[in-house]
Amino acid sequence: MECNLFLCSYLGMAQAQIQQQQQKGNQSADFGPDSGGRIKGLTIVKPLIYGNVARYFGKKREEDGHTHEWTVYVKPYNNEDMSNYVKQIHFKLHESYADQNRMLTAPPYEVTETGWGEFEIVIKIYFHDPNERPVTIYHILKLFQSPPGTTPAAVTGDFKKPLVSEFYEELIFQDPSAMMHQLLTNTRQLTLGEYKHDTDFEEKKEKTIKNLLNAKEKISNEIADLREKIKLAKDTITKFKEEISKYQGDMSVDVSGLS
Amino acid sequence: MADVRDILELERSPTPEVSKEVILGLRKDAPKRKKEKEVMRRPEGMHRELYALLYSDSNKDLPPLLPTDSAGQGYKSVKAKLGMKRVRPWKWMPFTNPARKDGAVFYHWRRTCDEGKEYPFAMFNKKVELLSYSDAEYSEHLLCEGWTRAETDILFELCHRFDLRWPVIHDRWPPHLTARSIEDLKERYYNVTNCLKKVNNLTGPEGKIVNYDGDHERRRKQQLLKLWDRTPKQIEEEQQLINELRKIEARKKEREKKTQDLQKLISADTDSRKMTKTTKKKIQQTKVAKLDTAPPSLESCTGIKFPDIKSSGVSLRSQRMKLPASVGQKKVKAIEQLLTELSLENSPMAVEEVCQLFNDLRSDLVLMYGLRTILLNYVFELQTLKHQCESVMPDKVLEIPEALTINTGEESPSRPRAISEMIDAVATPNTPNRKRKAALEQSNVLKKIKART
Repeated sequence: MECNLFLCSYLGMAQAQIQQQQQKGNQSADFGPDSGGRIKGLTIVKPLIYGNVARYFGKKREEDGHTHEWTVYVKPYNNEDMSNYVKQIHFKLHESYADQNRMLTAPPYEVTETGWGEFEIVIKIYFHDPNERPVTIYHILKLFQSPPGTTPAAVTGDFKKPLVSEFYEELIFQDPSAMMHQLLTNTRQLTLGEYKHDTDFEEKKEKTIKNLLNAKEKISNEIADLREKIKLAKDTITKFKEEISKYQGDMSVDVSGLS
Repeated sequence: MADVRDILELERSPTPEVSKEVILGLRKDAPKRKKEKEVMRRPEGMHRELYALLYSDSNKDLPPLLPTDSAGQGYKSVKAKLGMKRVRPWKWMPFTNPARKDGAVFYHWRRTCDEGKEYPFAMFNKKVELLSYSDAEYSEHLLCEGWTRAETDILFELCHRFDLRWPVIHDRWPPHLTARSIEDLKERYYNVTNCLKKVNNLTGPEGKIVNYDGDHERRRKQQLLKLWDRTPKQIEEEQQLINELRKIEARKKEREKKTQDLQKLISADTDSRKMTKTTKKKIQQTKVAKLDTAPPSLESCTGIKFPDIKSSGVSLRSQRMKLPASVGQKKVKAIEQLLTELSLENSPMAVEEVCQLFNDLRSDLVLMYGLRTILLNYVFELQTLKHQCESVMPDKVLEIPEALTINTGEESPSRPRAISEMIDAVATPNTPNRKRKAALEQSNVLKKIKART
């Protein structure tokens, strides 16, 4: 019974997905070459997470010297299907990898590989709207906790636990076209189950804001203090200059009485 | 003789008289190179005729300024044109020269047809027409300080005698009278004649007033003499100075042009709102480049202006947090240092609120850095003034207010060091400010030690 239900819902989802893909295919034709024109003054923000996880094998592999398995990914911050508005994501790996350009057109947008070194990965996100330019994110693949050169065996713990290096980013759609607006607002859920990230970004956000506010207050106080001191210094300079010129003007007068 | 013999094929000399050696020998002698003087080579591209017109050391003949029409005359030996007519008779006859005053009679050969005519050379006796004055006129109009009647008369007589040839007149000026320069004589003469002309109301070419300015003439001649007497070194020096002046003027013009262009761009920017990011950045860069050269003044401390592009299209939040290129390397390092001190990340989480706060904070940091620099400059100025005062007035000592001394370590060590003091570690090592700071800090440290003991 349950399997049937499960199967049915699964089929339903699959169907919906196919439908949506067909829709997508038609949509660009529907809106015309300018994608329906831009809606001025409208801003839509889509937060996302990008980064990589890496896991140490435990030893250096004999054939190619690889030591880690890593996965670089881009996923939306919220539980939604990015492929609605994202046409494809292009991951450009190091040139020593075969097929260094990896194009992904459907979620999950991730590339899994093995290797031994850290390098910069260029992530380029293309959108369904042909009038929108792709955005580029640069991510440095992180494999080691400590700087390379030190043996991983020296680092206690985190031995078999995967290393995570992920960052929060926001896509700002300024004045999106009508077509884009539709795509951005009609996203579906990605998974039915729980959706969470390795890093607690909410907490990070709160902490960062608190720190920034603290720092700001501190600096403002400093600035006020400095301004006061500058004023005092300026006044003292004029006072000193007066004294000297007074002395030079009238050499015989004893000026010791002045403070 | 030799060729006759040759033709008749009589005995020939054993060796031909004109031998190869003779020819070559002559050849050897003939091109005795005259010591060639330095001949300036004609520059390429210049026509031969044009080059010949140039005056140079090897070619000392200046071309004539006016073309001559000496078609028949010139260096060609012209043959005398003799007419084929009858010979005219000549006669030995007496003549007088009207130009002479004594009426002496001379004799010369003359053509009989020309007997009665005037002596042809008399017409060359031109005399300058001088005005003369009567006693009454003199006493009424022509009295002058420094010139007596007698002197004026002598002057006029000389002028008449020498046809207003001033160098001669000046030379013949009697030595027993007061020494007069040419300008003095001329001045007096022209004053007199002008006065007379005015008085007699003469018009036309006779009545033309000659404006002779003696002072001007004196100065002009002095200047000419100075010019003539310059040593070659001085001439060279003058030339160099003129060149330098020209360069300075050119640079000034360039600078003015640049500022004008900048002004135009700035005004264009304020007029039209559609401004591309690159040109804006260019202006910011050039503006800041100009400001960077001047030391920071209180007015120029403004913090960072982040380019806020409200352009359509997709962008990343982190792009809003990027520092504009206008922020100098020193400031970037200072910001980084301060952020680590405040235990903040260099690029925090890219949320809108965070982005805004972060940008504001960094702007404030730059502002603080600038204020700190200004304060240090002022404090240093105070120090120098204090020392100046102490050296000039040994019994008087100016006190710098406590709050302005740097690194006052007298207070409790637990006092949280102001963030601004931490900037000391950031300043690049080779600025003169830093050296002064080090020296001042040293002196402060010494004072502290003294105070403690």
